[in-house]
Amino acid sequence: MITQYLFYFLTFTAIFCALLVVFSKNPIYSALYLIVTFFATAGHYFLLNAQFLGAVHVIVYAGAIMVLFIYVIMMLNLNKEVEPHKSNIIKIAATVCGGILGLVLIAALRETELGEITEYSNNGIGLIEKLGNVLFGAYMVPFEISTVLFLSAMVGAVFLSKKNIH
Amino acid sequence: MLSLENIINGIHTWLNNTFDPTLALTCEFVLLGITAIAIFAVLGLVLVLMERKVAAIMQIRKGPNRVGPFGMFQTVADTLKLIMKEGLTPDGADKVLFNLAPFIVMIAAMLLLAPIPFAKGVQMWDINIGVLFISAVSSISVIGILMAGWASNNKYSLLGAMRSGAQIVSYELSAGLSVITIVILTGSLQLSEIVNAQQNGWWIFKGHIPVLISFVTFIIAVTAETNRAPFDLAEAESELTAGFHTEYSGMKFALFFLAEYINIFIACAIGATLFLGGWMPFHIGNWEGFNAIMDYIPSSIWFVGKTFFLIFLMMWFRWTFPRLRVDQLLNLEWKYLLPISMLNLLVVTVMAIMGWYF
Amino acid sequence: MNEIIIVASLGILTLLAEIFNFKKLILPLVVAGLAANIVVGIMEFDLASYYNDADTLRMIESDLYAKCFMMLLSIIALVWVLVNYNFFSDETNQTDHLALILFAIVGGFCMVAYTNFVMLFLGIEILSIPMYVLAGSNKRSLRSNEATLKYFLMGSFATGILLFGITLIYGSIGSFYVYDVRMKTASVDFTITPMFTIGVVMLIAAMAFKVSSAPFHFWAPDVYSGSPTSVTSFMATFVKTAAIAAFMRLFITAFPTAIESYKNVFFILIIASLFIGNIIAVFQTNAKRLLAYSSISHVGFMLLALLCLSEATSLKSLFFYTTAYSFTTLAAFLVLKIVSENASGDDDISVFNGLAQRNPLLAGTMTIALLSMAGIPPLSGFFAKYNMLFMALNHGYLWLVIIAILASLVGVYYYFKIIIAMFTRNSTDSTAIPLSLLQKSLLVLLMLIIITIGWNGWVFNLI
Repeated sequence: MITQYLFYFLTFTAIFCALLVVFSKNPIYSALYLIVTFFATAGHYFLLNAQFLGAVHVIVYAGAIMVLFIYVIMMLNLNKEVEPHKSNIIKIAATVCGGILGLVLIAALRETELGEITEYSNNGIGLIEKLGNVLFGAYMVPFEISTVLFLSAMVGAVFLSKKNIH
Repeated sequence: MLSLENIINGIHTWLNNTFDPTLALTCEFVLLGITAIAIFAVLGLVLVLMERKVAAIMQIRKGPNRVGPFGMFQTVADTLKLIMKEGLTPDGADKVLFNLAPFIVMIAAMLLLAPIPFAKGVQMWDINIGVLFISAVSSISVIGILMAGWASNNKYSLLGAMRSGAQIVSYELSAGLSVITIVILTGSLQLSEIVNAQQNGWWIFKGHIPVLISFVTFIIAVTAETNRAPFDLAEAESELTAGFHTEYSGMKFALFFLAEYINIFIACAIGATLFLGGWMPFHIGNWEGFNAIMDYIPSSIWFVGKTFFLIFLMMWFRWTFPRLRVDQLLNLEWKYLLPISMLNLLVVTVMAIMGWYF
Repeated sequence: MNEIIIVASLGILTLLAEIFNFKKLILPLVVAGLAANIVVGIMEFDLASYYNDADTLRMIESDLYAKCFMMLLSIIALVWVLVNYNFFSDETNQTDHLALILFAIVGGFCMVAYTNFVMLFLGIEILSIPMYVLAGSNKRSLRSNEATLKYFLMGSFATGILLFGITLIYGSIGSFYVYDVRMKTASVDFTITPMFTIGVVMLIAAMAFKVSSAPFHFWAPDVYSGSPTSVTSFMATFVKTAAIAAFMRLFITAFPTAIESYKNVFFILIIASLFIGNIIAVFQTNAKRLLAYSSISHVGFMLLALLCLSEATSLKSLFFYTTAYSFTTLAAFLVLKIVSENASGDDDISVFNGLAQRNPLLAGTMTIALLSMAGIPPLSGFFAKYNMLFMALNHGYLWLVIIAILASLVGVYYYFKIIIAMFTRNSTDSTAIPLSLLQKSLLVLLMLIIITIGWNGWVFNLI
């Protein structure tokens, strides 16, 4: 009962703040609303009994990525005057394209029949132990391969920020 | 025996016997909230006084000594003064964020109280990812600080906030890694289980040198994370006036001030829980008599004692070490602490697999 | 799996070279390692060494298709490293460049051998992220910066769409495993739901972006022309081969029956790629942009193999086409690189003026490469196109074949523009272009490959 109300509350917050991210004139506000959206998403994880994912979501997105985001926005001192002016035709075209995509998605998802829903009753599906078993069991190969991804991203970041010695 | 656990259980049973369950639960929530706020206020008062007294002892002077016996009511008087003051909002500031920021920092600090085991059986929320919860919530306060710095529309504030952000985000890494060493040894993220695992000895004794290394890294990292000297570049009164809270006054300033001290308390409480056995009493092998005496001391006293010892340590740092420059600060983290804690993590993992601890 | 482990270890070795200061040795070591990788691959190139994906927990398998493409990618990578030897001469960034390239190669291997959508996504990301970075490796050039930003933004959107598609397919099938998807879709009681359709279309869109097929090609000319020439040649050969192989693998493993339902999408992709690629290329004056548009038109041909998936020769045709195309493009970019470096970085078509007098070997290689791209017999490009069109004709797409032939006739025009410039125009600078021994031997080698590869059809029958 209370879970349901919480779900609706979190969903509403997430969607509302996500909209505000787009419509805010001030980039700082956009970033802050994005943080709220992340928190609402983390709340959903908690409702699904996946506390680990929720906590990691907060640590990684709200705590690290968004802080760097805000950091950069503050450093560049972006504000609404700096935002480049977009022509109306582009705006209209973008709206039409987005609208058509949205229409197709909604129309398709409306017709979708959900298969039978299996309810995972309280077997701790989102707990860290289960997650660890899955990561180091069935998904071990992608887990290991993803280290190459992170390593290359790290090397790339270092490379781009390195000064050339001439 | 009168212990915190018994009192709480007593209240719980009394409430449940007197009212219906829903009302009892509501009452408990209200009581919990009041307790949390009370802990907050008391801790703030005590820690500020302690800071001043410790500073005075270090500098061979008396410290506050006019208001009340040994100046004990000095902070109370200061708080009253701050409450009475007018809360100014600068003209060019972003009003909403400026006023919101102290509350965010405050709420983050308050949420952190939830998973801490204050004594045997006294814990507000024994969440199964306690350690992660703490690092998740403590990352919120950075956002509050950055908001405060940016919204003040003041160069010093912005610079202070930037420094603070960089500092907290970087030092979170080695703090997290040193926490993970204990998580590996215990095999659980739950704080109550971490405490229980130290029944036959605290990790700092059981874990040999690797845990000692991670304890030292942890203390350094949390000192930096709470923006305390020698890492107080975010405030740096000699160059940035007061850092991110330059423009704050009155109660809003007091909230920042309070949150800072609560963060110190929480960081030390976590350190005490992870490395020094939390509320577990000090036992030596099979000295039955000694252990019995130690057991007689209430668990809450043990916890508070350890925590305040660590707080004292952090205050001691402040008057011992010279301040670092920004580049030195970041070098220390990224070039020394982080590699050391990563290597240390590896060593601890091997140790845990091989069972090379008591 | 061996290939992935070898190349990933080489990548880590290069990073260690930076720490332990044996940077002088690292380039020969990497070349030796890549060569060793090819040798191991050839030695294991028999049925006995095929492992199915049970060993890798249903993530990667080395069937014939994966083996062949891994070998092709390894050879392309080795030739590319040799061709762009001086890309790694800058002391400061040498190890970074090498490590990024090696990691990108690992990504390419994942993309041709995956049996799980998770691995597809990871492979694409591992390949793309080093490419985003390398596109901007000329940090002082504004165009290079623009290229990297454009590539990164658009590429991450494409990846987002890919993930969205995978999610929707997961939602309607309940598995990330490609053979599960195939089994479910092949069963009688499976009806194609709208959710599934949208998922597949999103996957197609994302993959079409990665292979730079029109109408998802807008990034390609800017990124190709902005990036350093070495990186562009890697994008045009290695990345394109890996992406088209991943695209093909998606349909041979996951949706073999579904292609008929989505053939309209492929008609649009193919026709648009052929026409946009060839026609816009006519108006280009920048050689790199011209090659970029020509690569878009080649993608149009390659996609024919996906459309005619049920034909027995479709895999063979695609493999042969990518092989011929990759070596031809490597040769063309090698010449372009040498010539434009000689003209202090200018890559306008006019740098080719009078190349035949300045260095006949370069002009000869370029001519062979361009004629092969245009599809003139008896070069490999002709056989590649012939196989493709023959297959499409067998499948009954006569009209598509006519369109493709018309489009490639347009292509002949702009390829000849460069050839004419090389042989008839006079250069302002008539000094001879010096070549090192390595460059000479590579030019000859590539020329031989382009000429001979299609003759007796052994490459065609490899797969």
